[in-house]
This record gives sequence, structure tokens and C-alpha cells, in this order.
Amino acid sequence: MAVGAESEDREARDADGGARLLQLERELAAEIGKSDTLARVTEAIASSNDVDACVQIALDGARDISGAAYGAFFYNQTEPDGKSYALYRLSGAPPEAFADFPPVRKTPLFEPTFENTGVVRSDDITLDPLYGRNAPRAGMPHGHLPVRSYLAIPVATRQGEVLGGLLFGHPEPGRFTVRDETLLTGLGAQVAATIESIKLNADALAELDHRRKAEERLKFALDSGRMGSWDLDVATRTYEASDLCKANYGRRPEEPFTFADLVATIHPDDRPRIVAAIDSAIRDSADYDVEYRVIHPSGELRWLHARGRAAQTADDGGVRRLAGVSLDITERKRADERQKLLVNELNHRVKNSLATVQSIAAQTLRSTASPEFFREAFETRLIALSQTHDLLTRESWEGASLREVFDVELHAMASEDRVSFDYVSDVRLTPKAAVALGMGIHELATNAVKYGALSTPLGGVKVVWRVEQDVLRLTWTESGGPEVHPPARRGFGARLLERGLAAELSGGVELTYDASGLVCHMALPLRALEP
Amino acid sequence: MKTLSSLKVLVVEDEALVSMLVEDMLTDLGCTIIGPAAEIEEALRLAGSADIDAALLDVNLGGRPIFPVADALKARGVPFAFASGYGEAGLTEDHRGSTVLQKPFREADLRRVLEGLVAQLA
Repeated sequence: MAVGAESEDREARDADGGARLLQLERELAAEIGKSDTLARVTEAIASSNDVDACVQIALDGARDISGAAYGAFFYNQTEPDGKSYALYRLSGAPPEAFADFPPVRKTPLFEPTFENTGVVRSDDITLDPLYGRNAPRAGMPHGHLPVRSYLAIPVATRQGEVLGGLLFGHPEPGRFTVRDETLLTGLGAQVAATIESIKLNADALAELDHRRKAEERLKFALDSGRMGSWDLDVATRTYEASDLCKANYGRRPEEPFTFADLVATIHPDDRPRIVAAIDSAIRDSADYDVEYRVIHPSGELRWLHARGRAAQTADDGGVRRLAGVSLDITERKRADERQKLLVNELNHRVKNSLATVQSIAAQTLRSTASPEFFREAFETRLIALSQTHDLLTRESWEGASLREVFDVELHAMASEDRVSFDYVSDVRLTPKAAVALGMGIHELATNAVKYGALSTPLGGVKVVWRVEQDVLRLTWTESGGPEVHPPARRGFGARLLERGLAAELSGGVELTYDASGLVCHMALPLRALEP
Repeated sequence: MKTLSSLKVLVVEDEALVSMLVEDMLTDLGCTIIGPAAEIEEALRLAGSADIDAALLDVNLGGRPIFPVADALKARGVPFAFASGYGEAGLTEDHRGSTVLQKPFREADLRRVLEGLVAQLA
């Protein structure tokens, strides 16, 4: 062998070895690159906190590692027919590339991926025996990205739930190696773990959010109902009270409030009853539903209504907690009291009115000669009384004015046009004084119409009053009527005015039988008249 | 024992018509009327010093309770009855159990009550 040839041979060998070395170095660099990429991508996937980002990182990373032209994640969407898969995320192609296609179907080709039975790797998918067997399209739909090399990896949880599939493609055949398959399968597992963890986390957050909202709703309901809530630990007598519950006992939110404080705040007269009710609720699981008075630290007395129930949570079946709500019912209690007073007062007034009517009947009977006269006189007196009641009812029984009382009584006798008034200021009357004066004025008017100045067409009455030194001085003067003679017997009207009215109103009433007309003088202290 | 016909009865009543009715009833029963008083001051004066055997007291005098008058009568040992539209519900704790004449009442009711008061005198 010539030296030259030998050296050529060596050179050739060296060149050959160098190329191999170079090739090995390139492969090693590529492998290191893939490993680095895998490590970086795995890390990024693990630290992503939403499913979109996680999947996108995985697809982009997988393409870097495998050299795939396109990558897609199909979400395992269970349709009613159980066969469809929705496109979820793409890499290496714009979303429009898939926009017009219907969801992927669970054809035999996709089945291993979405049933999680194994990875599908094909150097040329179009040559796969399973490819193109399905009507109606028999292969990739028209306009599909060109795919020859194909790698499909199931993404499933450790429990076997298939979340979806990572699908990769390349327009040229034979691009995916066993090594790619191994690396991307690992990536798929990482995606599954991350999605699962994100979902669990989201579920936990949603649960927390749900609980927080429920608690807020409860607090809002309690607050708007002015309800305080409380919780008593039966064994330790540890008492927990909401801010509103503390407020019900006159405590500020930051003030301590123990069970002993609570018991001490209850009115001494109610305390034994409430302590017994609490004991019974704990011992017999009886419903705790009580009303009681509390004395705030300020000394203010309030009424509370508390309701609660024992919770049987102890392992031995005994009662561990007594919990419930409390509500300030002071206003309701006061309204109840007012109601009771009003009903009593109404009863009193009705009974008094009946006694008044009884009196009118008895005295009218004494002074009338026949049932016909009785009826006439009794009814007009009853109606006079009723007129004053109507007037007072219009003013909510707070009182009426002297002029108003004159007006209603004279109107009832159709005499208002024949009576003239002279006064500086009207006088406010209590309901009682209005009723008394109303009856008195009725007696004067009815007498004038029957026997006095108003019994003739030309007669008239002048009413003059002044208030002097807190005394009302009123004069009723009749004129223009028939000649007046003092009556032989004093009737009901005269008695009512001179005795009854004078006594009731702590004043003096005097009737003067002037020949020219009846005169009635009244001197009544304002203290007996005014509210 | 006193009879009703010689009985001096203090009447405290602030409503003219009711007062007149009671006066008529007492007159029919042969009693002598002391008063009637329509104001608490006058009632207290009569209860403290007038010559009376018994008393009939309206519970409410123009919004003022009659009980000081009742106390004054009790102190003097003068028997009395309340006349009230409230019935026994209108009485204070101290006076629960006292005789109450519910308004409106009949002359026979008044007679019965007065006879009861006279029995206390004996």
C-alpha cells in the first residue's frame, strides 16, 4: 500500500471520524437542548395557574422538543352522543386553520388517545391501516393542515379521568422518534397533573367563595333583622356573641362579654326564669324561646327575644353547644303596652258614655210627662252628645274650641243664623270640657227654641265672652222673644247648667230670668277647660 | 248599725251627668250627699275633714287618679267604694280587693254596695 494511499486512507478515515464526531456532538447538543427545553417547559407547566396557559406552554414546548409543525390540545368534551372532542388550544397554526371544522370525532384512529389506552406515533399517518376508514370524509377533511408524521398523547389524571389529548403533526413523514414519544409522554403527564391541581384549587376557591358569600348573606339578614347571633359552649360556658348581639346587651363590639356578663345583665326578676330555660334547653334539648328584660350598663331597660337550639354534636350524644339569635323587641313591647292602655281607655270611655246616657235617660224621664215627650227630649239630647263626639273625633280626641262646640250644637238646632258672637279669642277645650259645655249649650239652645227668644221669628241670642285673669266669662243673652217668667220647677237643663256644669268645670253658672229674655252667666277657670 | 237613710255619702265624680245620676240615686235611697267633688283638691279636703259615713269615688278625675283620696279615707276608717269604667283593672296594687262599682250601674247595685260599706261600719 502506497504511503500516499495510506495517508489518503487515514485522511479519509479521519474525515469520516470527524464527521461522525460532529454528528455525535450535534446529536448530543440537540439532546441537551431537548432536555433543557423539557426541564424549562415542565417547570413552566407546573407553575402555571390557569389551564389555558398550561396547555399553551406544553404545546409550544413540545413543538420545540419534537420539531412538530403543529400541536393541538383537544379537550375531552362529553357530548350527549359521547363522541365529540372540542379544540382547545393550538400551536404552530392560527386558530382559523381549524375554525371551519366540526369537532373531532372518536374514530378508531383517535380512540387510543381519548380512551387513554396508549400513545399513537406514526411516521406517515396516511398509510396507517386505521386511517381513512370513516365515512363521510375518509381521512382529513378538505383544507386540513397537511399531516404525515403524527404523534398523539392522552392527557389523563392518575385516577384515569381523560382530560383530553395532545396531538402533533408534521407535513413530512418520519419526523417523530421514540425519544420524542418518551419526552412528550412525560410532558403529557405533567399537563394532566397541573390541570388537575388547577381544577382542585379552583374548586377549593369556589367553595371558599361560596361559603364566604353564604356567610355574608346570613350576616346581612341578621343585621337587617337587627338579629344578634350567639353560641354557648355547654361544657366550658364559653360564650361567643356577634356585634349586634353585644349591642342588644348594651355592649360595644370590642368589649368582652362572657356568659356570666350575660346572666348579670338580665333583669333580676327575669333571671331565674331564663337560667332555668337555658338549663332545660341543654338538659332536655327543649326549644329555647324566651322574652326577657335586660339592663344595659347605661341603666337603660330593654326587652329582648332570644331563640336557640341545642346542637347534639358530642361523641357521647350529649349536648355540646346552644346557639341562636337575639332580637331587641323593646319597641314592640311598648306598642303592646300602648295597645293595652288604649283598649283600657276605650273601655273606660265607652262605660262612662253609657253611664252618661243612663243619666240623660233617667233625668229626661223625671222631667217629661208622657212617653212621646220623653222620646223627643231624650233623642235630641243623645244627638247633642253625639255631635260633640263627632267634633272631637274629627280632631282625634285632642280637644275642640269653644266656638266649634257652639257651632255644632246650634247647627243641630238650625239656630246658627240667629245667634251672634262677640269675643276676642277662641278658647281651646279638653275633650271632657267640650262634652260638658256641648250638653250645656244644647240645653240653652233647645230651651230658646221651645220657649225663649228663638221661639219667635224676631228674637235672637247674643253670646259674648272674654278671658280675664284666667277665667272665662261668658254670657248668653236672649232678646226679642216672649216675656220670661221664672219657672215654677227647675228642669233638667237648669240643673245641668247651674249644678252639674258648674261643679264639673269648677266654676259658677247662673241663670237669670229677665222679663226681656233669659240670661246665662258662666265664670269658668281656664285650668278646668284648656288642655 | 246605721241605715242607708241616715248615711252621709261623699261623692267624688268629675262628670256632671254621671254625678247628677248618682245624686238622684242616693237621694232616692235616702242618703245625704256630701259634695259632689269634681276636683282632687276638693275631694281631699272633704275626705280629710267633712262629717261622712261612706264615700263613692270615681277612679279617674280628669286624668288624675283618685288614690290619695282613698288613702285619706282609709286613714280615717271611712269605708268607700270605687266607681269606674275601668272595673277592677283600673286599680293600683294597694287597692286591689276594694269594692268596685262598674259603670254604668243600677240603683240596686249602688244600694248593695252601700249596704256592704255600712256593714263595715258596724
